[in-house]
Amino acid sequence: MTVQRNRIITALSAAVLMIGIAGAAYAQASGSLVSAALAEGSVGEQADGYLGLRGQASGALRAEVDAINIKRRAAYTSLAAQRGVTVKDVAATVGCETLASRVAAGRAYQLPDGVWRVKSGPITLPAYCAS
Amino acid sequence: MNEIVLTDVRSRATSGVMKRIAPFFLAATVAACGGCVQVQAPDKPIEINLNVNIKQEVVLSLKKDAADLITSNPELFPK
Repeated sequence: MTVQRNRIITALSAAVLMIGIAGAAYAQASGSLVSAALAEGSVGEQADGYLGLRGQASGALRAEVDAINIKRRAAYTSLAAQRGVTVKDVAATVGCETLASRVAAGRAYQLPDGVWRVKSGPITLPAYCAS
Repeated sequence: MNEIVLTDVRSRATSGVMKRIAPFFLAATVAACGGCVQVQAPDKPIEINLNVNIKQEVVLSLKKDAADLITSNPELFPK
Protein backbone atom coordinates (compact mmCIF):
# COMPACT_ATOMS: atom_id res chain seq x y z
CA MET A 1 0.00 0.00 0.00
CA THR A 2 2.65 2.50 1.04
CA VAL A 3 4.74 1.63 -2.01
CA GLN A 4 1.77 2.29 -4.26
CA ARG A 5 0.97 5.56 -2.49
CA ASN A 6 4.59 6.63 -2.84
CA ARG A 7 4.47 5.92 -6.52
CA ILE A 8 1.31 7.96 -6.93
CA ILE A 9 2.85 10.87 -5.03
CA THR A 10 5.99 10.66 -7.19
CA ALA A 11 3.94 10.64 -10.39
CA LEU A 12 1.81 13.59 -9.24
CA SER A 13 4.81 15.69 -8.25
CA ALA A 14 6.47 14.88 -11.58
CA ALA A 15 3.33 16.05 -13.39
CA VAL A 16 3.24 19.28 -11.36
CA LEU A 17 6.90 19.87 -12.15
CA MET A 18 6.30 19.33 -15.87
CA ILE A 19 3.42 21.81 -15.84
CA GLY A 20 5.64 24.30 -14.02
CA ILE A 21 8.41 23.93 -16.60
CA ALA A 22 5.96 24.26 -19.47
CA GLY A 23 4.49 27.38 -17.85
CA ALA A 24 7.93 28.93 -17.47
CA ALA A 25 8.77 28.11 -21.07
CA TYR A 26 5.49 29.68 -22.20
CA ALA A 27 6.20 32.83 -20.19
CA GLN A 28 9.65 33.09 -21.79
CA ALA A 29 8.21 32.56 -25.24
CA SER A 30 5.82 35.46 -24.82
CA GLY A 31 8.80 37.79 -25.25
CA SER A 32 8.03 40.59 -22.81
CA LEU A 33 11.67 40.93 -21.76
CA VAL A 34 12.79 41.08 -25.39
CA SER A 35 10.55 44.04 -26.19
CA ALA A 36 11.99 46.00 -23.27
CA ALA A 37 15.55 44.98 -24.21
CA LEU A 38 15.00 46.04 -27.82
CA ALA A 39 13.83 49.46 -26.62
CA GLU A 40 16.90 49.96 -24.44
CA GLY A 41 19.29 48.55 -27.06
CA SER A 42 20.58 45.48 -25.21
CA VAL A 43 18.97 43.23 -27.84
CA GLY A 44 18.95 43.96 -31.55
CA GLU A 45 18.41 42.57 -35.01
CA GLN A 46 21.40 41.00 -36.74
CA ALA A 47 22.16 40.86 -40.45
CA ASP A 48 22.10 37.06 -40.19
CA GLY A 49 18.34 37.16 -39.61
CA TYR A 50 18.35 36.45 -35.89
CA LEU A 51 18.08 38.47 -32.71
CA GLY A 52 21.32 39.05 -30.84
CA LEU A 53 22.36 40.05 -27.35
CA ARG A 54 24.49 43.16 -27.11
CA GLY A 55 26.76 42.71 -24.11
CA GLN A 56 25.84 40.89 -20.91
CA ALA A 57 22.30 39.65 -20.43
CA SER A 58 20.30 37.89 -17.73
CA GLY A 59 19.52 34.22 -18.14
CA ALA A 60 15.81 34.96 -18.56
CA LEU A 61 16.42 37.45 -21.39
CA ARG A 62 18.86 35.06 -23.05
CA ALA A 63 16.22 32.32 -22.86
CA GLU A 64 13.60 34.55 -24.52
CA VAL A 65 16.00 35.53 -27.32
CA ASP A 66 16.92 31.87 -27.84
CA ALA A 67 13.25 30.86 -27.94
CA ILE A 68 12.48 33.46 -30.61
CA ASN A 69 15.54 32.52 -32.64
CA ILE A 70 14.62 28.83 -32.53
CA LYS A 71 11.15 29.65 -33.88
CA ARG A 72 12.66 31.92 -36.52
CA ARG A 73 14.96 29.14 -37.60
CA ALA A 74 12.02 26.77 -37.91
CA ALA A 75 10.18 29.30 -40.09
CA TYR A 76 13.30 29.91 -42.22
CA THR A 77 13.83 26.17 -42.61
CA SER A 78 10.34 25.52 -43.96
CA LEU A 79 10.55 28.48 -46.37
CA ALA A 80 13.99 27.33 -47.53
CA ALA A 81 12.62 23.86 -48.22
CA GLN A 82 9.72 25.32 -50.23
CA ARG A 83 12.02 27.49 -52.35
CA GLY A 84 14.93 25.06 -52.68
CA VAL A 85 17.50 27.37 -51.10
CA THR A 86 19.59 27.15 -47.94
CA VAL A 87 18.33 28.20 -44.52
CA LYS A 88 21.20 30.69 -44.45
CA ASP A 89 19.95 32.34 -47.65
CA VAL A 90 16.47 32.78 -46.21
CA ALA A 91 17.87 34.03 -42.90
CA ALA A 92 20.14 36.55 -44.64
CA THR A 93 17.22 37.83 -46.74
CA VAL A 94 15.09 38.27 -43.63
CA GLY A 95 18.07 40.05 -42.07
CA CYS A 96 18.11 42.48 -45.01
CA GLU A 97 14.38 43.12 -44.51
CA THR A 98 14.55 43.63 -40.76
CA LEU A 99 17.54 45.97 -41.04
CA ALA A 100 15.88 47.89 -43.86
CA SER A 101 12.44 48.36 -42.34
CA ARG A 102 12.03 47.02 -38.80
CA VAL A 103 14.82 48.66 -36.82
CA ALA A 104 13.62 51.94 -35.34
CA ALA A 105 15.90 54.92 -34.71
CA GLY A 106 17.85 54.57 -31.48
CA ARG A 107 17.74 50.77 -31.58
CA ALA A 108 20.73 48.45 -31.85
CA TYR A 109 21.58 46.37 -34.90
CA GLN A 110 24.53 44.28 -36.03
CA LEU A 111 26.00 44.11 -39.54
CA PRO A 112 28.03 41.11 -40.82
CA ASP A 113 31.20 42.77 -39.47
CA GLY A 114 29.95 41.82 -35.98
CA VAL A 115 29.91 45.41 -34.71
CA TRP A 116 26.84 46.63 -32.85
CA ARG A 117 25.62 50.05 -33.89
CA VAL A 118 22.71 52.21 -32.85
CA LYS A 119 20.51 53.39 -35.66
CA SER A 120 20.73 57.09 -36.45
CA GLY A 121 19.68 57.60 -40.03
CA PRO A 122 19.35 54.92 -42.70
CA ILE A 123 21.32 51.69 -42.18
CA THR A 124 23.97 50.91 -44.79
CA LEU A 125 22.87 47.40 -45.77
CA PRO A 126 25.31 44.62 -46.70
CA ALA A 127 26.17 44.45 -50.42
CA TYR A 128 24.20 41.22 -50.95
CA CYS A 129 20.96 42.88 -49.85
CA ALA A 130 19.20 43.62 -53.12
CA SER A 131 17.75 47.10 -53.10
CA MET B 1 66.84 -8.02 -57.88
CA ASN B 2 63.20 -7.31 -58.49
CA GLU B 3 63.72 -3.58 -58.50
CA ILE B 4 66.35 -3.76 -61.17
CA VAL B 5 64.03 -5.74 -63.41
CA LEU B 6 61.17 -3.30 -62.94
CA THR B 7 63.33 -0.29 -63.69
CA ASP B 8 64.54 -1.96 -66.86
CA VAL B 9 61.02 -2.62 -68.07
CA ARG B 10 59.86 0.89 -67.31
CA SER B 11 62.79 2.55 -68.97
CA ARG B 12 62.49 0.40 -72.07
CA ALA B 13 58.79 1.15 -72.42
CA THR B 14 58.91 4.91 -71.92
CA SER B 15 62.41 6.18 -72.30
CA GLY B 16 61.76 7.78 -75.70
CA VAL B 17 58.53 9.41 -74.67
CA MET B 18 59.93 10.48 -71.32
CA LYS B 19 62.84 12.27 -72.92
CA ARG B 20 60.49 14.30 -75.09
CA ILE B 21 57.96 15.02 -72.30
CA ALA B 22 60.41 15.70 -69.48
CA PRO B 23 60.97 19.41 -70.31
CA PHE B 24 57.24 20.00 -70.29
CA PHE B 25 56.89 18.35 -66.89
CA LEU B 26 59.69 20.51 -65.61
CA ALA B 27 58.07 23.67 -67.01
CA ALA B 28 54.66 22.72 -65.65
CA THR B 29 56.09 22.01 -62.20
CA VAL B 30 57.93 25.31 -62.13
CA ALA B 31 54.82 27.17 -63.33
CA ALA B 32 52.62 25.40 -60.79
CA CYS B 33 54.95 26.21 -57.94
CA GLY B 34 55.17 29.84 -59.01
CA GLY B 35 51.38 29.98 -59.25
CA CYS B 36 50.85 28.45 -55.82
CA VAL B 37 53.05 30.96 -54.10
CA GLN B 38 51.32 33.92 -55.73
CA VAL B 39 47.73 32.69 -55.40
CA GLN B 40 47.78 32.02 -51.66
CA ALA B 41 47.51 35.65 -50.55
CA PRO B 42 44.37 36.72 -52.51
CA ASP B 43 42.64 33.36 -51.98
CA LYS B 44 40.18 34.51 -49.32
CA PRO B 45 38.87 37.79 -50.80
CA ILE B 46 38.04 35.97 -54.04
CA GLU B 47 35.87 33.48 -52.16
CA ILE B 48 33.95 36.24 -50.39
CA ASN B 49 33.22 37.99 -53.69
CA LEU B 50 31.76 34.79 -55.13
CA ASN B 51 29.54 34.31 -52.10
CA VAL B 52 28.22 37.84 -52.37
CA ASN B 53 27.43 37.41 -56.05
CA ILE B 54 25.49 34.21 -55.47
CA LYS B 55 23.65 35.64 -52.52
CA GLN B 56 22.49 38.80 -54.24
CA GLU B 57 20.48 36.81 -56.78
CA VAL B 58 18.99 34.52 -54.15
CA VAL B 59 18.19 37.42 -51.86
CA LEU B 60 16.36 39.20 -54.67
CA SER B 61 14.27 36.10 -55.40
CA LEU B 62 13.42 35.60 -51.72
CA LYS B 63 12.70 39.21 -50.85
CA LYS B 64 8.92 39.01 -51.05
CA ASP B 65 8.79 35.67 -49.21
CA ALA B 66 10.93 37.13 -46.44
CA ALA B 67 8.69 40.18 -46.08
CA ASP B 68 5.62 37.92 -45.93
CA LEU B 69 7.29 35.70 -43.34
CA ILE B 70 7.91 38.73 -41.12
CA THR B 71 4.39 40.14 -41.40
CA SER B 72 2.70 36.77 -40.87
CA ASN B 73 4.78 35.95 -37.77
CA PRO B 74 4.73 39.20 -35.79
CA GLU B 75 5.43 37.37 -32.51
CA LEU B 76 8.82 36.30 -33.90
CA PHE B 77 9.71 39.87 -34.86
CA PRO B 78 8.96 42.04 -31.82
CA LYS B 79 9.37 45.74 -32.41
